Amino acid sequence: MLPRELVVEVLAAARARGGSFAELFVEERTSTSIRLDDGKIEELTTGIDRGAGVRVGRGTAYGYAFSNRLDREALLQLATAAAASIREGNPGGTVDLREREPAVRHRAERAPSDVSSADKVGWLREVDDVARSFSPEVRQVIGVYGDSLQRVLIATSDGRWVQEERPRIRLVSNVVAARDGNIQTGFEGPAGLAGVEFLDAHRPRETAEKAARMAVTMLDSLPAPAGEMPVVLGPGSGGVLFHEACGHGLEADLISKEASIYRGRLGDRLASPLVTGVDDATVPNAWGSFSFDDEGAPSQRTVLFEGGLLRGYLYDRLRAEEDGVPSTGNGRRQSYAHPPIPRMTNSYILAGEAKADDVLRDTQRGVYVKAIGGGQVNPATGDFVFGVSEGFVIRGGELGAPVRGANLVGRGIDILTAIDAVADDFETREGICGKDGQGVPVGNGSPTLRIARMTVGGTGEASGSAAAGGSGGPGG
Amino acid sequence: MADVDLTELGAAAVDAAQGGESVEAYAEETRRTEVTARKGEVEGLTFAESRGVGVRLIGAGRLGYAYAADPTVDEVRAAVARARESAVFGTEDEFNALPGRDDAERIPELFRESEASVTADRLVSLGLDLERLATTSDPRVKKVDEAQVGDAVSRVAIASTSGTRAEYARTDCWCVVVALAEEDGETQTGYSFRLARELGELEWADVAGEAATRAARMLGATKPSTAKIPVVLDPFAGSSFLGVLSGALSAESVQKGRSLFAEMLGEEVAADSVTLVDDGRLLEGPGAAPFDDEGVPTQRTELIARGELHGFLHNTYTARRGGADSTGNARRGGYRSAPGVGTSNFFIEAGGADPDGIIRAAEGGILIQDVSGVHSGANPISGQFSVGATGLRISGGELGEPLREMTIASTITDMLKAMQAVGSDLRFFTSVGVPTILIGEMTVAGV
Repeated sequence: MLPRELVVEVLAAARARGGSFAELFVEERTSTSIRLDDGKIEELTTGIDRGAGVRVGRGTAYGYAFSNRLDREALLQLATAAAASIREGNPGGTVDLREREPAVRHRAERAPSDVSSADKVGWLREVDDVARSFSPEVRQVIGVYGDSLQRVLIATSDGRWVQEERPRIRLVSNVVAARDGNIQTGFEGPAGLAGVEFLDAHRPRETAEKAARMAVTMLDSLPAPAGEMPVVLGPGSGGVLFHEACGHGLEADLISKEASIYRGRLGDRLASPLVTGVDDATVPNAWGSFSFDDEGAPSQRTVLFEGGLLRGYLYDRLRAEEDGVPSTGNGRRQSYAHPPIPRMTNSYILAGEAKADDVLRDTQRGVYVKAIGGGQVNPATGDFVFGVSEGFVIRGGELGAPVRGANLVGRGIDILTAIDAVADDFETREGICGKDGQGVPVGNGSPTLRIARMTVGGTGEASGSAAAGGSGGPGG
Repeated sequence: MADVDLTELGAAAVDAAQGGESVEAYAEETRRTEVTARKGEVEGLTFAESRGVGVRLIGAGRLGYAYAADPTVDEVRAAVARARESAVFGTEDEFNALPGRDDAERIPELFRESEASVTADRLVSLGLDLERLATTSDPRVKKVDEAQVGDAVSRVAIASTSGTRAEYARTDCWCVVVALAEEDGETQTGYSFRLARELGELEWADVAGEAATRAARMLGATKPSTAKIPVVLDPFAGSSFLGVLSGALSAESVQKGRSLFAEMLGEEVAADSVTLVDDGRLLEGPGAAPFDDEGVPTQRTELIARGELHGFLHNTYTARRGGADSTGNARRGGYRSAPGVGTSNFFIEAGGADPDGIIRAAEGGILIQDVSGVHSGANPISGQFSVGATGLRISGGELGEPLREMTIASTITDMLKAMQAVGSDLRFFTSVGVPTILIGEMTVAGV
């Protein structure tokens, strides 16, 4: 993407005042996005983005400068601006740049650029048709198709030269259903680091059906019970909880800032013995995967919890140097316009041995969470909140009426410790995780989990005294 | 900045239009510097330059969009060609159109020469000062999670085949403090920030002190028992809900059947103390701009007036479709996207109530100082929400014990109707503004 001599010159200029290292990140991204709304193809957008960022590190401090100009003059100006974060010092050198070969490659079999826009539009039409024919109560369908190809070059003063192409694809279906003034929504949005073949395994038809079923199911919902009760998290939704309630607190920048309750606790039992959790960027073609992170470190699988014991943190380069450990390959950035920070990739609670049906049958009363809409956590205190987008009451070991307006509130350590069942039915959910104003693709995964006690927020009565729910919901 | 100016790029796009096509170029450039201080050192310094052009093309009622980062004149022409290819797949829609030419009155106050020449060194020393202020105002606050100072200079130019030639420049600066209070092994966070058009207008000590106070007063927080009680939303908490409201008041949501207000024009939707306004020309608001993101002049629009629903936010498309006039609320997330509908300065107008009086009136209730999970816990269509909250018990007419791990749940419309008093202390958070508000009764769930 850039000649080697120019890269060497830029790195040398960035180290004019020293610092522990200099890094150049160059990116080109082509993307297509198509939006169907209200039965119409509203917009088909194609974009070409490019830019470069220069970073100079010193301890955990850094200077970062970026621009979307890639000419020599602009790049040297960036190097000077980034070096300005260092007050004074002697110039540092650059080791010979050596190309690194990836340990894992995530190949796209069929490039989206070889598929006509007419075909892509056709997938959205299918989403619209399938969702609308699912039920007359479906009122509105939004379908969004997106593909992108990100090409990166990462070079560092300590000799890294890494190039990678990351193809990403996603098809999202949002469905609105209505009955007698009651409006509910459903969502499904599978995504992968892959080519168009991804949609062979994640058919537009199934995506549309799942979203429509969720919206229509929730039309029967009653106000959620409020209070403390057992919560069973369906496959995948526990992964979202793990990501929010725990994963962010394991990111080394928060540990370093003493803003995480997990600081200094390696080896401690901070989760139920049933919990083994990993962060794994090597999962083939998974949404949060890559061959190299955005600092040029190879992707890897990092064990976070093993049988409930805290085993690891997620490191980028700056924090790894601070702690004198190797980077775990978790230095990620949204684009050239952002400095890398420690981020999760695909964070999973691994499957256990229980059967999901047994877990439910053993639960007399509580809430079953089939889909979590998203969440938020304060890593310093561990307090979190999640919205439940599809949930049901559990009564006598069976699913009862769907519940609306529920959320889950608690503290990460308490919740992971309170997990008393882990089933064997692992699933993933894909999303965009936001942190410090940067969004990156992440995968979350888990099997069915049960949390013995957890606060459920809702407008209904406390579960102990709740009136019997309506007719039975669908069987999980 | 770069060699070709924005006006020239816009002109190149307009010139590339073919017969019968409407073409609009939205060009923007920004220079931004941000300094984060921690432990008396510069933790991070970011310098950024970016520019780009987005092309909207409408042919036979079909819309196509293409963008390019830092394009040459030739690359802008290529973007027009790509938008043309994309438009073929768009659904024909008679309401797709560009606004006609309507020159907006300039707002010269938005650009401050002094801000445009601020050096990184000056931001570094301000950032270090800010952290020092935040860690010396309360003995329990010895460190910050974040103390950040930043500024930006930006320029926008819009040109179209309808004759629009709109340009403006602005300066913005901001400071953010997330303070950490600690006692007996417990940590609580407190957040504050301010925006202004030049650094001299930022109230540094207020921001630092407020973040520290909000952190320290949460130490020792416990979980309340579940109850239906009066709730006071302080402006921080109230601002979180306005985002949900702005979506529901967009004509785009209404026309697509995704607004809880869809059939309620002219009806009482809130208590009569509530007047909700969007005003892109209000200088006190950080969202002020002479024109919106398709070049239509901004204006003051009363959406809810003394409790009654008066109107919706419109861009050119929704106005044509709804038989209304654009309210100057076309918004886009930069040059990479075509305009949708969004807010400029969106706020509940200050009322007559003294904020301390509001707290006294909520005896036995809770002051909510922070809510979390609104983006996931609130349903913008049904209006139902249940969000996490932290706050303080109100007893003896004063703020008392801190409370956490609770949720508040209601619906947006019930909450609007229960707003018994609106404070005189309107305060803007980014482009959203709210005073202190008393809600008669809400379910607060804890133990």
